[in-house]
Amino acid sequence: MIWEVFRQEEPGDYHQHVGNVHAPDREMAKQFAQIQHARRMQTNSLWVVPQEEIGEVDAEDTSFGGTTDKSYRWAMTYNDIDASFAEEVADSEEEQREAAEKRSEAQS
Amino acid sequence: MDIETVKERAGPREFGPADDMPEEYRRAATRMIQFHANSEVMGGYLDKQFTRHAPSLDRKLACTAKVQDEIGHAQLLYRAAETLGVKTREEMLDELANGEGKFLNCFHYPVDSWYEAPMIDFFVDGGAMRRQATLKTTSWTPYAHAMDKVCFEEGFHVKHGESILKELMTSSKATRERVQETFETWWPRILQFFGPTNDESHHNDFAQDVGLKTATNDELRNSFLNMYVPKAEKYGLEIPEYPRIFERDDGTMAIREDDLDWDEFWTISKNDYEGSHEQIGTRRRRQEAVEWVRQSMDDWEASGGTTPQAAD
Repeated sequence: MIWEVFRQEEPGDYHQHVGNVHAPDREMAKQFAQIQHARRMQTNSLWVVPQEEIGEVDAEDTSFGGTTDKSYRWAMTYNDIDASFAEEVADSEEEQREAAEKRSEAQS
Repeated sequence: MDIETVKERAGPREFGPADDMPEEYRRAATRMIQFHANSEVMGGYLDKQFTRHAPSLDRKLACTAKVQDEIGHAQLLYRAAETLGVKTREEMLDELANGEGKFLNCFHYPVDSWYEAPMIDFFVDGGAMRRQATLKTTSWTPYAHAMDKVCFEEGFHVKHGESILKELMTSSKATRERVQETFETWWPRILQFFGPTNDESHHNDFAQDVGLKTATNDELRNSFLNMYVPKAEKYGLEIPEYPRIFERDDGTMAIREDDLDWDEFWTISKNDYEGSHEQIGTRRRRQEAVEWVRQSMDDWEASGGTTPQAAD
């Protein structure tokens, strides 16, 4: 059976999907995951998950983020307001701007 | 792990559900995250009023989106609190409904006019973001992860709040006066948002020692003053004479905390203010009204609606 592998580089990071392994049980899957996905990469922790336990919904099933214009809920919309006075507000706006660019790239 | 080891190892995102944390840490973290989650819920309830009063469709949509965000943040935070194994989400929601759950002072005061929207959406949310940004480096990883998403979304709330403030303060003289009046009512409450001074704060030392908190109440309040006083003045709001604000030798601002009404603050923190009963009651009635949804989900799950497959 196939196990999806998620690797965490440093404590506190998110576990990121890095690939999968074939193994008959969880113990073997953990061993294979170490060898294939953590041997030469900085790793703090690994998760192995049976592939059939993962629920998927993709861009064919749904329109992520909806189909209506939701510009009112993004910081960039209020562009007559300067966010630079507070670092955390400026950071949030920057993250939102990057996410918006990725979304529009994905849609084009 | 014993408490001394926790204090030695304490650092950003150092601990998680796989660690064997002492009871004292788990209780302190639960108290802090539950308080935060409750505040998201109660803040969302105040904003509900603004949707009704919003003067345009765009503003209404933005207010609705904000309420949706806040309730979502509460869910993330209850989830993070659950990972400590002290209380379940149901217990925490019940505590909020029956008046045992604690939440931010600003959300105990009823709101009834649109002039109050920028007080909550700009100043209180701005203060909240100040604090939340420092919690991205809290020692309990699930809490820090929740802050990643919360901070991502909050930027819109603060900017929208400032946009409302700007609109009101460039409007008629009567409107500007109403905003100034509202500001004078809210300003002391906003300054109390960061809680009591360090020496009055019951939990501060422990929370800092184990890395749950990374900035003190005073530090947060003073940095808030440095950023938000100039903003208030930019739009023509006058900072009230009391509580007195003073400039320190290094040019940063601080407040004479004795000028604030701490009796009212401590009454509120016990959920004993007149507004507390009203706000908590509203929340409880909503919670009861949608009991059938939770019930039907539980029933569906119990009847085998989901079948978690055996992994191996």
